[in-house]
Amino acid sequence: MRSGVLVRVPHALREYTNGQDEVLLEALDVASLLRSLDATFPGIRDRVVDETGQPRRYVNVFVNEDLVRGDFEAARLHPGDVVHILPSVAGG
Amino acid sequence: MAKTVKKGSTAVLVGTKKGAFLFHSPDRGRWSRIGPYFEGTPVYHVMLDPRDGRTAYAGATSEHWGPTVHRARIGGDFARAKEAPKFPEGANLAVTRIWHIEPGHPDEDGTLYVGVEPAGLFRSDDRGDHWRSFDALNLHPSRGGWRPGNGGLCLHSVLVDPRDARHLLVGISAVGAWETRDAGATWTPENRGVRADFLPEKYPETGQCVHKLAWDAAADGSVFQQNHCGMYYRGAGGGRWTEVSAGLPSTFGFPIAAHPHRRKTAYIVPLVGDFNRVPPKGQLAVWRTGNAGRTWRRLTRGLPGPGAYMGVLREGLAVDRGDPVGVYAGTNTGELYGSRDEGESWRTIAAHLPPILSVSAGEVR
Repeated sequence: MRSGVLVRVPHALREYTNGQDEVLLEALDVASLLRSLDATFPGIRDRVVDETGQPRRYVNVFVNEDLVRGDFEAARLHPGDVVHILPSVAGG
Repeated sequence: MAKTVKKGSTAVLVGTKKGAFLFHSPDRGRWSRIGPYFEGTPVYHVMLDPRDGRTAYAGATSEHWGPTVHRARIGGDFARAKEAPKFPEGANLAVTRIWHIEPGHPDEDGTLYVGVEPAGLFRSDDRGDHWRSFDALNLHPSRGGWRPGNGGLCLHSVLVDPRDARHLLVGISAVGAWETRDAGATWTPENRGVRADFLPEKYPETGQCVHKLAWDAAADGSVFQQNHCGMYYRGAGGGRWTEVSAGLPSTFGFPIAAHPHRRKTAYIVPLVGDFNRVPPKGQLAVWRTGNAGRTWRRLTRGLPGPGAYMGVLREGLAVDRGDPVGVYAGTNTGELYGSRDEGESWRTIAAHLPPILSVSAGEVR
């Protein structure tokens, strides 16, 4: 098993990750994972949460296959987890 | 996508519900298109910085990923600025849209202002990479009573006094006009004489639904206002606004573009009313005043109608700085019209664009 958490980066945010579609990080919860991600790729966290820390309305974060609802601090992570950042079904 | 736009060309930058477009012309008759930029993303405002005639700025508002500011050398690809404007920690406010980007004072190279939704004003001194919040306005004690218009609680007009960089006038829907004379340290509502038909108190201190503000070319502090409830003009001394709707087909409209050289001259696009936001009699018409709204003239030659039932949104009307001045109108049905004779006659520059949210124009240098 991997020692870290694998983040799958959506296409729209790969301009922040120099084109990387996956990033491996160490984090205990989704909130700290996003901060770590932002430390490596400045600005990317702002695309997932707004300045109040709330998830953007049309962005979904999954841990493995479970949608994280509400509090990112409470969404615990474990080595080997895969975090998916995905745009929700929206637009028009 | 990067392409060369020749010096001396006129550029018309168009923000739409699905990206941005650049039209450029050597003679304002033959137009070339570059774009779309930001495909699929609403661009509420994109403009050419008149201070250098080369740098374009755009506010893109992804419904998924939030608002971002971008800049480009005109004709080139846009690059994302390092940060987007943000309300201060603890304000419990989050920027959802960038409505307007305004270049700073001509003597303040690299300075920009943005107006956002929910209503807020921000300033950058490094061409958009970092922003600071005008907390004295954004967190004003009256904010709890601010109410949105139909378009949201947005700060959409930012005027920088060419005589004094410390003097700003902004417009917030539906809160009214606010003014600072000390670079944003203190702000006062400036709505005396402006009607609010939709409130029990018709002339409140705040709560007016200002749609757009524009300095008079006189550069003496005189200013035009298109409001939800009429056209207004405020003279050089400030103070009360005077309603100048007489002679217009309605008191309702969104955009206003002031002539860049000729004082007391401005263009507007009246619509039937807030209940029916289309041109009167199905004829798209731009109206011009040359005497600060005392009289108005209807300009329709080359504009669609009868049978035209579109609208022009608050950023949808612009002038260049040519002589004679060019005037440009973009509709919410995706047509871009241009006039190179001060509005006397119009031609279609582009059709079948996405709904147009903003139009701006300038000379490429």
